Amino acid sequence: MAYPYQLGFQDATSPVMEELLHFHDHTLMIVFLISTLVLYLISLMLSTKLTHTNTMDAQEIETIWTVLPAIILIMIALPSLRILYMMDEMNNPLLTVKTMGHQWYWSYEYTDYEELNFDSYMIPTTELKPGELRLLEVDNRLILPMETPIRMLISSEDVLHSWAVPSLGLKTDAIPGRLNQTTLMSLRPGLFYGQCSEICGSNHSFMPIVLEMVPLKSFESWSSSML
Amino acid sequence: PFKLLGILDVENIPCARDSVLYGSLGSVVAGLGYFLLTSRIRRSCDVGVGGFIIVTLGCWFHCRYNYAKERIQQRIAREGMKNKILYESTHLDPERKQSNSSN
Repeated sequence: MAYPYQLGFQDATSPVMEELLHFHDHTLMIVFLISTLVLYLISLMLSTKLTHTNTMDAQEIETIWTVLPAIILIMIALPSLRILYMMDEMNNPLLTVKTMGHQWYWSYEYTDYEELNFDSYMIPTTELKPGELRLLEVDNRLILPMETPIRMLISSEDVLHSWAVPSLGLKTDAIPGRLNQTTLMSLRPGLFYGQCSEICGSNHSFMPIVLEMVPLKSFESWSSSML
Repeated sequence: PFKLLGILDVENIPCARDSVLYGSLGSVVAGLGYFLLTSRIRRSCDVGVGGFIIVTLGCWFHCRYNYAKERIQQRIAREGMKNKILYESTHLDPERKQSNSSN
């Protein structure tokens, strides 16, 4: 999960997020090398006594600095498109969960077999127990089975919200009157935190999302106990 | 974490540290070698920077390709171990299916 002064991504919990981290490493290395080259060129320009004011053309260098960026862009675009299409693959989800955004809480519905729905409000700072995370804990977590493809259907009852869980590489807008779909799969059990990612009013920063990924048996016993 | 030029986290990104170190070595070798052959200082620096970029990029792609292959093999091994533990001695045992098909 996130820690103070964090600059990079959280550790990946889903296969798609792992791919995104690798793509980010790949692109960052390219950016680092281009930055090195540009810094070097700037230092050369600042340290030369030469001047040349009557250049008419420079065909070779113009060819190089057209073709090379095109090649670099292709090297970035191909993995990017691969991941983009991978994120849209349908992988036979075993469970469907609906989440509705409200001002200012999320509600979750498991309606595959029986009707199970509940609201998820942030725990106020004054009511936190020792060790709990400020502005991130909720009263009812979204409990899901791990290592299982799950379909999330996301919408809103009032204004725009966005359901985001960075560790799983998920961010999907909750739009009133529209049903957005995303698939979720966690490779590990644990707690994964996210926050609303679309401005939705005064308490936009105070409607977090907490996923509790558990083994299938634990999920089955939890859902039986809730019905 | 320490980041080169403030952006590249060489401690945590796989292959980053090795690529930058090999790139630095290649840069020094190329730049120094060019200088020893030609005694041209500015051009040697250019060759050094060019060498750094090319060697870093080459090591990076080579290392990441091998890393990706290793991850795929690890995933296959993990799945195989899980399936073996779950399905051993049942009708879904992958080894039983293979021996049936070979018979």
